[in-house]
This record gives sequence, C-alpha cells and structure tokens, in this order.
Amino acid sequence: MAAGSETKHNFLEMTEIRKSFGDMTVLHDVSLSVSQGEVICIIGPSGCGKSTFLRTANWLTPADGGEVRLAGELVGGVPDARSVSTQTKELNALRARVGMVFQNFNVWPHLSVLENVVCPQMVVAKRRRGEAEKQALAALAEVGLDDKKSEWPDNLSGGQKQRLAIARVLAMDPVLVLMDEPTSALDPELVSGVLNVLKRLAQKGMTMIIVTHELGFASSVADRVVFMEEGRIVEEGAPDVILQTPKTERLKLFLEKLNITAFKPNSDSAGHPTMDSGS
Amino acid sequence: MKFDISYTFDALPRLFEGSLVTLTLALLGFAFSVVLATIVTVARTASKSRILAYSVAIYISFIRGTPLLVQIFLVFYVLPIVGINIGPMSAGILALTLNSAAFVIEILRGGLASVPQGQFEAARSLGLSGFALWVKVVLPQTFMASIPPLVNEFTQVLKATALLSTITVVELMRVSQQIYSNNYHPVEVLTGAFVMYFLMCFAVSRSASLLESKFEVKRA
Repeated sequence: MAAGSETKHNFLEMTEIRKSFGDMTVLHDVSLSVSQGEVICIIGPSGCGKSTFLRTANWLTPADGGEVRLAGELVGGVPDARSVSTQTKELNALRARVGMVFQNFNVWPHLSVLENVVCPQMVVAKRRRGEAEKQALAALAEVGLDDKKSEWPDNLSGGQKQRLAIARVLAMDPVLVLMDEPTSALDPELVSGVLNVLKRLAQKGMTMIIVTHELGFASSVADRVVFMEEGRIVEEGAPDVILQTPKTERLKLFLEKLNITAFKPNSDSAGHPTMDSGS
Repeated sequence: MKFDISYTFDALPRLFEGSLVTLTLALLGFAFSVVLATIVTVARTASKSRILAYSVAIYISFIRGTPLLVQIFLVFYVLPIVGINIGPMSAGILALTLNSAAFVIEILRGGLASVPQGQFEAARSLGLSGFALWVKVVLPQTFMASIPPLVNEFTQVLKATALLSTITVVELMRVSQQIYSNNYHPVEVLTGAFVMYFLMCFAVSRSASLLESKFEVKRA
C-alpha cells in the first residue's frame, strides 16, 4: 500500500456514507475527502452522527450505503445495498494502518503498558519481539509514558491511559489516525497532556480526523473543521472561518452554546498550558 | 462400638492412593470441560448462529435438569451399546466433562459479558481478528473475571468424583468402601476419606485465592 503514489486529494475518500440504526437514519449520504497530512476536526452536537461517521472510516461500523477508499484501496463499500466489505484479511491489514483512539481509551487491562503496545505489533504487523519492544518504547516516549512501561493500565490516570492508547496506535506506523472524542472522558486537568500529544502529531504531519468538543484545540491544530448536524455536514472550512464567521444559523447557535463554557477565542491554542503538566 | 482411630491411620496409605485417583479424575474432567466450554463459548459468540445458541441452551437445561448420577450411568452403559468400550475411568471422566461443561459455559458467559465492547473494538481497529482477537484480548479477560466461579466449579467436580465409585472407578470413595467392607469400621475409614476430600478442596480454594490476590496486587 504505497500511499505516496496517490494524488494528494483523495488519500481518504469517504463517499455518500449512509447509515441507519433501525428506523433512524443517522448519516445521510455524507462525503468527505482528506488529503495526506491534513488534520480534520469534526464538531457538532451530540447525536449528530459524527462518531458514527468516524467509525465508518475504518469500517468498524459498516455503513449501509457508500464506500470508503484509503489511498485508492477499498476499505469498505456497499454495492447493491448488500453489506459487503473487502476480505477480512485485507480489511485487517488496512485497519492496522488506520489507528483509532476511543473516548474510553480501551487499553487492555490484562497486559502491562509495554505489552499493550507490543502485542498488536507482533500479532498483526508480524514483528519480532525485539523490534516490537524497540518500537513500543519509542512510541511510549513519544507520549511521555516511557517510565511507566512496567505498570498495569489500572494504575494509570485517565490521561495516561489515553496516551497509552495513542502510543499503541503510533507503534503500528499508522497512515491515518481516527480519534473519537479523545479527551471527553478525562478530568479537565488531564486534557492538556493528551492534547499536547495530538498537537505534536499534527506538527509531524500525521493525517488525523478528530471528533472533538475542544474548539480551542480545533482552531489551533485543524486544517479544516467540519460541522455536522443531524447526520449531514452543514459547514466545513478553515477553522478561523468556520469558528469566527459561521455562515449557517445552526453553527452559530452551536458555537454560542459552547462559547459559554469552553471556547475562548483569545486564549492561545486550547487554552491549556503548553507542555506536559504531569498527567 | 467405640471409635478407634487406628483404623483410620491404617487406611491412610490406601486412602492417599485413592485421593490421587480422585484428583486425577477431577483435574482431567475439569480441564476437558473448560476446553470444551471455551470452544463452545467462542463458537457461539463469534458465529452468531441461532441453531448453535439453541442447541447449547437445550444441552445446558438437560444437564442442569437431571441428576449427575443418572448422567454418569447413561454414559457408562450407553457407550458400550453403540460400540464404544472405553472403560469406567474414561467413561467417568467423560461424564464429568459433559456435566461440568454446561456449568462452565454459563460461567464463561458471565465472564465474557464483563468484557466491554470497546475491548473488541480496539482490537479490531488495530487489525486483530478471529483467533488472535480471542486469544490475546478477549479470553484472558474472560478467564480473569471468571476465576472465583471456576474455582467453585472445580471443587464441585472434585466432590462429584465420589459418584464414579458407582461405576467401579477405584477412587477415594470406592477405596474407602473396599476397606470398610473388610474391616467393618466404616466410621473410622469414612472419616479418613472425609478429611482427604476436605484437604483437597481446601488446598484448591486456598491456592486460588492466593492466585487471585496476586493478580490484584499486580494490577491494582
């Protein structure tokens, strides 16, 4: 899978994604294309379908309509309204290169911090232990957890667990990282540690799609902000345009609601201290 | 007739041999039942097959709804009729396995339910699937959550081995019967067997709780 040979514009191409749960349609033919190195933040009220949309990007939630292509390769698609995806093996190979970070971390409690990062490398990427450990230590250092490698996840704080989850993803050399509200389950004082890791990733040119409520973070890191409501993309564009001069009434309302609590346009970046504050 | 402890002591060497047989029966029966129950649990969950789910449910209700002694006799007498001669020891282990598997399936169902859906999702999003997903991520957590009821089930199996004396398996109970039918001192001999059974079960549950607290220390 040589991503470099593809043109920049259709690195990830999500076309007319449709998804229903029972009678409720949560995604109405949503399309999004992401170029390599781009950081996209998806914002929107809860229940707007943003998490579901993100989860169709690696076909973790198979869509009912539309298709997803990564570097030209089919991740999942629905011809003839029948849910078929690429062969499981190929899908797994693709998924291994598309990292996913969840709201609830989902680190594996039965494995040590180091083993959490080593295990998928050995099983999926077929690396030898020595190589996998080297890679794992590098990834843990990247998120500031190298001193916790022998700990058990139960002994980590929420912020540390989320950084562990990120390290687990990074060790697989992802070409794309999907993040589903990565800081929503964290205590406020632990948020900045995780956001700083994400910022560094963005600076390094990692392609990312981040579902987030942290508008300050979105405005400082995103190349493009996508506003979703009721299963549709309502507005998208550069963060300062979207967040400062919203065109639609709905986005205006949404931003006003958030402004009261979270968004401080004048503060720097996410409104958080810049370097790791311990968590 | 007064209680003469010397009969108990005299019986001890043979009771000890019987205990080893009892332990072997219990270990094998339980080990096979855990393997069988694990396979059934994974197959039932992964395949989402209705037929399989119903068959398992029916099997469990039959096992739970009939006495183990009847199940043991059935296995012992039915197998030779269909041309399978495996002897009382193997028939006994088979009966224990088939019986215990029903309970272990239920235990593992509870353990599996305690593994959050996010654990599966994280594994799948990293490219783990099928065998690796179960062996590396799901089953370890399922078993960790199931240790206390599994230990309990093992002691049940261990005590149930006494029923195998009825199909001529020479385990602790049968040995005791052989001894007291010669010396006519059932109380002394059975007291010895009583202590043997207790010590085995006690050792198992003690080492299990040590194991558990070790996990706790390691993880919390």
